[in-house]
Amino acid sequence: MLDTLAFVALGIALGILTGLIPGVHVNNLTPMLLALAAGSAFCSLPLAAAIVAMTITNTFISYIPSTFLGAPEPGTELSILPAHRLLLEGEGYEAIRLTALGCLGGLLLSAALIWPMLAFVGPTYDLIKPQMHWLLLAVVVVMIALERSKAGIAWGAVIFLLSGLLGLLTLDTNLCNGDAALMPLLSGLFGASVLLPSLTSKSSLPEQRVDDEPIEVRPHLRPLCAGTAAGALTGVIPGIGPSQGTVLAQLVVRSKGSNNFLVAVSGVNTAKALFSFVALYAIGRGRSGAAVAVGQLVDIGLGELVFLVGVALFVGGIAAFLHLRLGRLAAKHIWRLPYRAICLVVFITIVCMSVYYSGLIGLPILVAATAIGMLPAVARVKRTHAMGVIMLPCILYFAGLKGPVLSAIGL
Amino acid sequence: MKIMTKMSLLCSIAGLAALYVGAVQVRPSVTAISKLDNDFLGLKVIVSGQVVDLRESNGHMFLKLKDDSGGLISVPIFSSIRSQLSGSIELLDVVQATGVVKEYNGELEVLPEKASDIVVVHSPCVAISALSEDDLGELVKVRGVIVEREIVGKGNLILTLREDGDWLPVFVSASMARNSNFPEVHVGYTVQITGWLQLYDNELELRLKDASSIKVVEAA
Repeated sequence: MLDTLAFVALGIALGILTGLIPGVHVNNLTPMLLALAAGSAFCSLPLAAAIVAMTITNTFISYIPSTFLGAPEPGTELSILPAHRLLLEGEGYEAIRLTALGCLGGLLLSAALIWPMLAFVGPTYDLIKPQMHWLLLAVVVVMIALERSKAGIAWGAVIFLLSGLLGLLTLDTNLCNGDAALMPLLSGLFGASVLLPSLTSKSSLPEQRVDDEPIEVRPHLRPLCAGTAAGALTGVIPGIGPSQGTVLAQLVVRSKGSNNFLVAVSGVNTAKALFSFVALYAIGRGRSGAAVAVGQLVDIGLGELVFLVGVALFVGGIAAFLHLRLGRLAAKHIWRLPYRAICLVVFITIVCMSVYYSGLIGLPILVAATAIGMLPAVARVKRTHAMGVIMLPCILYFAGLKGPVLSAIGL
Repeated sequence: MKIMTKMSLLCSIAGLAALYVGAVQVRPSVTAISKLDNDFLGLKVIVSGQVVDLRESNGHMFLKLKDDSGGLISVPIFSSIRSQLSGSIELLDVVQATGVVKEYNGELEVLPEKASDIVVVHSPCVAISALSEDDLGELVKVRGVIVEREIVGKGNLILTLREDGDWLPVFVSASMARNSNFPEVHVGYTVQITGWLQLYDNELELRLKDASSIKVVEAA
């Protein structure tokens, strides 16, 4: 029991670390933990608990850099814009509180959802899978149609296609090993393109309000439920990431405010994190790097699942507390720091991380992604269209058209 | 604002064009199997080699390809892809597979994504008369009519194949003969058999590779 607690504490510490440093992901550390397991007499279950603790904590804490620095981690890319907006209004801490609510609420709700989902997901997935491309296509069409104005729809379609082409060129060719291109792609589309305007303008951050009035849960209940349901689906179904999940959730809720959006997107992320472990039990396959690692450590039976979900809930409470504390600390001090210098440092970090993950080819990918990422702001349409970078390859994959399309353009 | 829009759009298109040119340069090419290492993980390659091992389970097919470089690589063909393959794949066929290099249980494999990623060239059978002691230890494929079927020891089977006046005994271990994949064979059947060439009592003999390496071509 004590060793389990020690490992959970270790997981929380690593989760804070990976969450706070933009670009360092849980998946970078799991191989280390696995190596530790291989070379030692530690039981594997506490180590699995450490990985779960790290994943859950990371989900919470990664909203701190994405709020205050505008640096995305996979999964938080869509939250940057609304969180950044709140930051520029002096409400950075509010963004932290909303993501804490979304994360914790998503975790609790998805834990409650496990049983119904177990009965529902398997058969439904088999039913949906052959139609997946139509489903995703419908999401895209609705997403673009919601721009309403003709110019907006045209721009939405252009941005979707450009980013989709970018995704095809970088994720499905030999330019980069596998998913290595994701870092420069997402950083360019959703990070650097947000930071660049701040770099060129003389903006400084306003003093951040640190308000401890309790948040009213009721108005956020709908985005929370939609986010959790979408997250649970994305945790089990391959090819749909948290961002597509958020788009789905947003369609269900049809919320316009950035507050609801933040709650929904953070709900999606914790639900996805938890359900990627549940998928280990339900369909025998991990749907995230961390879940795959856990699957390698222990055979997930019902007992182990209950244990790991318990760990996740236990850690969730602690992580929410830490998230609020750290976020509050950041909110109190961030405005005193030279904002442009911070943006510059984050920008340089993004460039370095892109080169580190994808090699020198990461630079042109980052440049192209940043250029496309600037388009939504200058054309005044939603940045979600740039999710075409993952959705277009996904749609083609499920439609069985990826190979033909790639060979049609000579690749 | 107009200028920003134009510049962003121009930059996007120029960037995409540059990446396209880059991607065309690094299209997958035929790679010697022995050269494949962890640096290839996630990259798409083309490998071409002879099928030296073939396992089937649950509709999936697991090949091991060996090429002139001496390297050996696993190529799993999952049922969804396998069901779309037009022809069969047999031991000793030459297979060219296009796929992404992945790691599975610490071993590298090339994972084809669609049926057209797999091109099969069937290897012809070797004439029994052409077999010599130079081929000892090699995997060979022969075809012939069963002229004798004898059970020896604890259920081992000796089949004698005849092709154009030449004979070759084939040894089938008891466990293979009892395996559910082993087809019913009788004297007079024409069969195609893949196995290891070995010496027994100074005579050439074929040792059946596994229960599914024997195929009835024509029942009498």
